[in-house]
Amino acid sequence: MKWTIHPAKLLLTLVALPALLIPALALGYIVYQGGAVISWQFISTSAELSGFGASSGVFSQLAGSLLLAVGACIVATPVALGTALFYQLSNNSRLCHHLELLIYLLQAVPPIVYGLFGLILFVQIFSLGVSLIAGMLVLAMVLLPMLTLNNITSLQRIAIEQTDAARALGLTESALVLRVWLRQSRRELITGQLLAIARALSETAPILFTATVFSGVVWPDSLLSPVTTLQTHIFYLAQEGNHPQSIDVAWGSALVLVITIVLFSLLARALKPSGGNL
Amino acid sequence: MISNSRLSNITAPVQHPTTALQIDQLKLSIQGQPILHEISLSLPTSGITALIGPSGAGKSSLLHCINLLQQAWQGEITLHQKSIRQWPGGDEKLRRHIGLVAQKPTVFPTTIYRNVVFGIDGFWQRRNAHAIAEQALRQAALWGEVKDRLHAPAASLSLGQQQRLCLARALAIKPKLLLLDEPTASLDPKSKQLIEQALSQLASHIPLLLVSHNLEQAQRLGEQVIFMCEGKVIEQADCDTFFNHPQRVESKEFLRWAVCECD
Repeated sequence: MKWTIHPAKLLLTLVALPALLIPALALGYIVYQGGAVISWQFISTSAELSGFGASSGVFSQLAGSLLLAVGACIVATPVALGTALFYQLSNNSRLCHHLELLIYLLQAVPPIVYGLFGLILFVQIFSLGVSLIAGMLVLAMVLLPMLTLNNITSLQRIAIEQTDAARALGLTESALVLRVWLRQSRRELITGQLLAIARALSETAPILFTATVFSGVVWPDSLLSPVTTLQTHIFYLAQEGNHPQSIDVAWGSALVLVITIVLFSLLARALKPSGGNL
Repeated sequence: MISNSRLSNITAPVQHPTTALQIDQLKLSIQGQPILHEISLSLPTSGITALIGPSGAGKSSLLHCINLLQQAWQGEITLHQKSIRQWPGGDEKLRRHIGLVAQKPTVFPTTIYRNVVFGIDGFWQRRNAHAIAEQALRQAALWGEVKDRLHAPAASLSLGQQQRLCLARALAIKPKLLLLDEPTASLDPKSKQLIEQALSQLASHIPLLLVSHNLEQAQRLGEQVIFMCEGKVIEQADCDTFFNHPQRVESKEFLRWAVCECD
C-alpha cells in the first residue's frame, strides 16, 4: 500500500493535535499521581475529622458531590423541561425569541456570580445557611440554561410530521406532549440529565460558599446541613492542607472526581439515540 | 402560468342538496403573503372530490384550514351545517371528525396496533379498541397483511403498508370527512391500487377530499373535481364535465398542459 500525505490533512492534524494532546497529558498526569493513592479503601471510607489532610478516604466527599449534583438536577429538570415545552408549544412567537436570548444570557453568567447570588439569596435572605439545599438550588441555577437548551434541542428533533399527525388525530396539547414529544425524546432528555450531572460535578465556585465547609462534616444530617464535596475537598487540600500527605490525597480525590464525571458522560453517550449529537 | 387577470372570475360553487362541507369566502395569508383567495366550494355527504391544480396552488393549505391545523384564515367553513370555528369541544374535537392522511407516510415509533388506536378516545371506544382497529385495518386493505403481527413495530412495514396504516389510523377515529393529501404520490403501483380500492369503498360512507397531481387518478376516482390555481378555485364540476367539457379557459389550459406533459 502506498502512503500519501495530503498537505491540508497534515496541517489540520497539526492544528488538532494540541487540542487532543494537552487534555490527554493532563488526564495522564492525574491518573499517574492519583493512581498511586486510590484504592477501594480510599473510595469507601471517610477521612477522620481530626487532622485535616492527614488521613485519606473520600467516601463522604464523593457522596456529597453526588448528592449535590443529582439534587440540583432534580430541582432544575422540571423548570428546564417546562420552559422547553412552553418554547416548543409557542413556536416562533416573539416571546420565544426573547426567551431564547435570556437563556443564552444566563448561560454566559460565570458560575462564581451564581455562587455570590446564591449566598445572598438562599444563605442570607432565605436563611437556609450554608447547606445542602442552598448548594442544590445554586447548582440548579447554573444547570438551568444548559438543561433547557438541551431539552429544546431534544424536542426540536421530533419531526414536524409526527406533531401534525398527532394533532390531526385530535390529540390535545397535553396528550401531544405526553404521548408524542416526551415519549419520542425521552432518551435524549435522559442523556441531557446525565450530562447535567456531569457538569454539576465539575462545578466548584457556586458551592464554595453556599453548601460546603472546610472540615468537620462527614455526612449531612438534613438538607439544611452543610456538606463536603470532592471539588472543594481538592481545593481545600491544595490551599490549606498542611500535612505532607495532603497533596497526595488531593491527587487521589481528583482522580475519583474525574472517573465519576467520565462515568456519567459515558453513560450519557451509551444512552444517546443514534444520529443525535452530544 | 395562468395570468392573474384571467383568474378574476371565480366559478360559483356547485350547490348540493346534501352538503357535508361548505366553504365560503375563505382567505388565508401567511406572513403577509396571500395563499388562498376567497375560496368557496362545497362537498357532498359522500363520494370522492378530487382537488387538482399545479404545485403552489394552495391545495395542502386548504386541507390544513379545514382541520384547523392552519388557523390564520378568514371566512366561513361549516361541517354538516356547523361552523368549525365554534365546534363543540374545540379544535381537538373537530379534528376527531376530520381524518387527514398526509403525502408522506408518518407512523408513530410504536407497534402497528398502537398506531391504529392512537387517536381513539373515550371509554366505550377504548373498550372496543381491538374491534375498531380490525375494522379500520380492513377498510384500509391492510388487515390480511398485518393480522398476525399487530404488535410488530410499525416501522417494519413497507412504505405502501405504512401509508395504508396511516389511512387505517385516520379511519379508526370514525371521521365524518376524510382529507387526503396526495396519499399515493410516493408509492409503488400495487400499493397505489390497494389504496385506490380502499378509497372507492370508503367513498360510499363518507365524503373524501383527495388532493392529487395525478389527473388519471382524479378522473378514475373522483365524482366531482375542484380545480385550483394560484390560491383560487377556478372550476368545480362533476368529473365527466370537467375532463370532457371544461368551462374555464384556465382549466382547458391546465388539462392540455397535463396531457402534453404525459406525452
